[in-house]
Amino acid sequence: MRLSRRALIKDGLLVVSAGMMMPAIFSRGVASARAMSLEGSHFAQAASERTLIVVQMAGGNDGLNTVIPFTDPLYHQMRPTLAIPDAQVLMLDTRLGLHPSLKALQPLWEQGHLAIVEGVGYPNQSLSHFQAMDIWQTLDLSGNGSEGWLGKLVSGWVDQDGHPFKALDVGVQTAQALQSISTPVPTVASVNAYRVYPDPADRDASNARMQALMKLYSSYPKTSPYAALLDTTALNAQDGSSQLLQADATYKPAVTYPTGAFAEGLKVLAEAIVQGLGLRVGYVTLGGFDTHANQQATHAALMQALAEGLSAFYNDLVAHGKADNVVVMTWSEFGRRVEENGSLGTDHGTAAPMFVLGKPINKGIYGEPPSLSSLDSNGNLKYTVDFRSVYATVLDRWLGASSKDVLGGSYSSQNFLPQP
Amino acid sequence: MNVNNQDDDLYNQPTEPRRKLDVTGRPVGASGMGNSGGMRAAPVAARPGPTPQATPTGPVSGQVIPPTPYPQQGQKQAGRPVSRRKLLGAALLGMAGLGAVGVAGGVALNLAENGGFASLFHSAASNAQTGHLLRRAGFGASPAEMQMYKSLGFEGAVDRLLNYQQVSDDALESRLKALNLNLNRPTDQQRWWLLRMAWTQRPLLEKMTLFWHGVLTSSFRKVGGKNFFMRMINQNQFLRAHAFDTFDNILLGITADPAMLFYLDLTKSRKNHPNENYARELMELFTLGLGHYTQQDVSEGAAALTGWHVDGLTSRYIPADHNNLTKHYLGQTGNFDYRDVVRILTNHPATPWFLARKLFTFFVYENPSTDDLKPLVDSYVESGHNMGAVMRTLLLSPQFSSQKAYRARIKSPTEFVAGAYRALELQGSGLALPTMTTLMGQALFDPPNVAGWPGDKVSALWLNSGTWMTRLNYIDLLLVRSGATGKEQAQPLDLQSVVNANRIDSPEKFVDYYASFLLDGALDSDRRSLLVDYFSTPDVSRGGGQVTLTSGKSYPLNRVRGTLYLMMASPEYQLN
Repeated sequence: MRLSRRALIKDGLLVVSAGMMMPAIFSRGVASARAMSLEGSHFAQAASERTLIVVQMAGGNDGLNTVIPFTDPLYHQMRPTLAIPDAQVLMLDTRLGLHPSLKALQPLWEQGHLAIVEGVGYPNQSLSHFQAMDIWQTLDLSGNGSEGWLGKLVSGWVDQDGHPFKALDVGVQTAQALQSISTPVPTVASVNAYRVYPDPADRDASNARMQALMKLYSSYPKTSPYAALLDTTALNAQDGSSQLLQADATYKPAVTYPTGAFAEGLKVLAEAIVQGLGLRVGYVTLGGFDTHANQQATHAALMQALAEGLSAFYNDLVAHGKADNVVVMTWSEFGRRVEENGSLGTDHGTAAPMFVLGKPINKGIYGEPPSLSSLDSNGNLKYTVDFRSVYATVLDRWLGASSKDVLGGSYSSQNFLPQP
Repeated sequence: MNVNNQDDDLYNQPTEPRRKLDVTGRPVGASGMGNSGGMRAAPVAARPGPTPQATPTGPVSGQVIPPTPYPQQGQKQAGRPVSRRKLLGAALLGMAGLGAVGVAGGVALNLAENGGFASLFHSAASNAQTGHLLRRAGFGASPAEMQMYKSLGFEGAVDRLLNYQQVSDDALESRLKALNLNLNRPTDQQRWWLLRMAWTQRPLLEKMTLFWHGVLTSSFRKVGGKNFFMRMINQNQFLRAHAFDTFDNILLGITADPAMLFYLDLTKSRKNHPNENYARELMELFTLGLGHYTQQDVSEGAAALTGWHVDGLTSRYIPADHNNLTKHYLGQTGNFDYRDVVRILTNHPATPWFLARKLFTFFVYENPSTDDLKPLVDSYVESGHNMGAVMRTLLLSPQFSSQKAYRARIKSPTEFVAGAYRALELQGSGLALPTMTTLMGQALFDPPNVAGWPGDKVSALWLNSGTWMTRLNYIDLLLVRSGATGKEQAQPLDLQSVVNANRIDSPEKFVDYYASFLLDGALDSDRRSLLVDYFSTPDVSRGGGQVTLTSGKSYPLNRVRGTLYLMMASPEYQLN
């Protein structure tokens, strides 16, 4: 079944033609948005200005060496070589500190714009990267889900202004969290490459050629393989590329971003926000966290890339006056084993902390510290906060979406965001 | 369940320390092995890469290990007696390479009777059949290849593809050599391989190598640093040399492969502190899949797998570094080592299903049923885990030639990039090709993680707005320009020569010519009209370029190449 944005949205209204079947989630999302706007138009209005940036740390970030319980003797005992020495830890309070390479995030903490949720996980945690990533992204605890929680969210939004970039994924592949049946999310590897080059021999900048091509796509038989995907992909690309290029031409970053794909990606997201492309959900990934061996240097470099990238992003938004409307959330598919292994690294683990950053957040340490003495049968931390409650908090309190609809259940909220 | 059987020929392990092992991992000069006509020491082949050691101590990357025949002495495998006839047949399969016609009592498939492609396109049945076969079992076809494989008939074509040793690839090797690539550099490595895919006369071998690369994964980003990037090429050569070998040999070799040893940390595994990474992914991603093992199996497997270490561009097994405790692994008990781990895994009932699912998804269609997979599973078991036998079953299956399989997948970036280069018979340097596949989401020798490319399982994941535009820009690169980066030096396609050589005398002929091998000749009349109209719309090319058809009539260059661009940018051309 084909869902084209043009067919569905006419004059800002959602049009459902007779006999058209909508996937259940889509209608659930629409009902949700309508319900929200009926309940509190003020909130719905405000929410439409707000952006959530999701940062994935791929590979399983070692939470224990990120947010460090440095006063716990077990931490030092179980990690004779990997434990960060007390003198190097960046203290958050009397019990916890940050990895020294997260130095660039320290000002954010001091200014009150950083929150940490401890012990985040879920029951019967999978130690498989792929099953765990599935669970975090599709909420299907059997690890067999396909539609992402952000995809559900995004597909449920009625986009009145026809913004092609209400969601934007930086990279070459759309993250699973953003997958949905109805709404492919623009996925941008590089702004420069996000366009179709014209043939210089065409006197019309290849307009006629593009028109003929779009005709081939729109007349491709609906029952043919991948018809919906092909058509919406082509439309998406057409809609978005000229907007993005225009935005890129006039945007100037107010800070110098560090080198590297992660920071570059954050810059693209900053650009989309600053230039008013209507971005509600941005997504970017930092990889390399699967530190089974010789963890020290690798993890330090990743912490530095994370902190410096996020700090540059935050400061860029502040300088452009956009920081009030952006919240960043980090996640990883699992933490790592408490005890270090024999290769100066750590194996797959379970619970780990999440960062939430931005001007709108309430600074603090949330959740419950997982116990280092009462571990599970694999020597892993027992989780104390269900990750879905963190999602519920950003959905309800930040994005004005019904977490019950998107997550398919009720989860308690954390207080790192104020009550609406 | 079975305890380690000392009579099991492939894996027999005397316990003296520090013995020299031959390339199959068995002790050199050990007695009582029944070597007559069975295992023999492998010849050391010259390959680009390391100098092979004079006395190999284990499977070494880059060495050619001939496909191992099924054990000759009628031993039990997993407790089941095997008939001599089956052994002989399987041994012939192994020794002859693959698919010796008649061994399996080859079933002659009449595709028309089975309601295959003939039911789709009556006049172009052969084009669709052949086009489909060459796209799946290779990287698509040039017009010459289309003709050649068509003339062999479907089964003949399958035979030729499987019996790759009978086709010379010397021309390819000379051309690659002439490019003077630096195989220590990732971008040159990618270029080397993409040009192999575009120019090889052994397309199925290359495709199978690509399949393995996406399953038994490693990445140049973690193989020991820039001084050891070559390890990825050596791994690649190993996969190519053993693409159709027994799964046992493939796993034995990949366990000992230096790139893999580093990538999954096995080289750092110590007998007193085994490292879990390889043990876990070997089960989760390479053999069994989730749900068939426990965390304890991961730990025990890790202990069993100790002993291997990288050594420059080769590797060594040091028995003294092997953990000698008794292990409880997947329901079996013994002082297991890597050979036992491989043996237990390849004989585990879940493995052929897991492997068949990956193969079927990659080569036929996604979400196969149990019925779809069973014949492959049976082939695996009956042939002694011979991947050539499994692939023969797959390619000759009704499912492979079914309507359900036709255009059932989105082309992967390598299929798209190499396929277009191959179809258009381009002879350039391939300089821009690596960037293209990377921007489309597939950087060879650098999969996103150890699970390989998600697009291999769900091909729709290859396509999003960004990658779609990159595909269009790649076609632009081939047909039009020297590239936005200005780096590509290849000549844009010389359409005038194509027109002359093929006596194209009308817009219709132009469209039909290209459609015949790019789109299986399957273009409905509306779409054909759209293309012909585009071609013949009056226009003036900036710069005045023209193409003159053999009728004498000239058309503006932008319209002519724009038509070809449209065909390759079309929805159908994105499909495999």
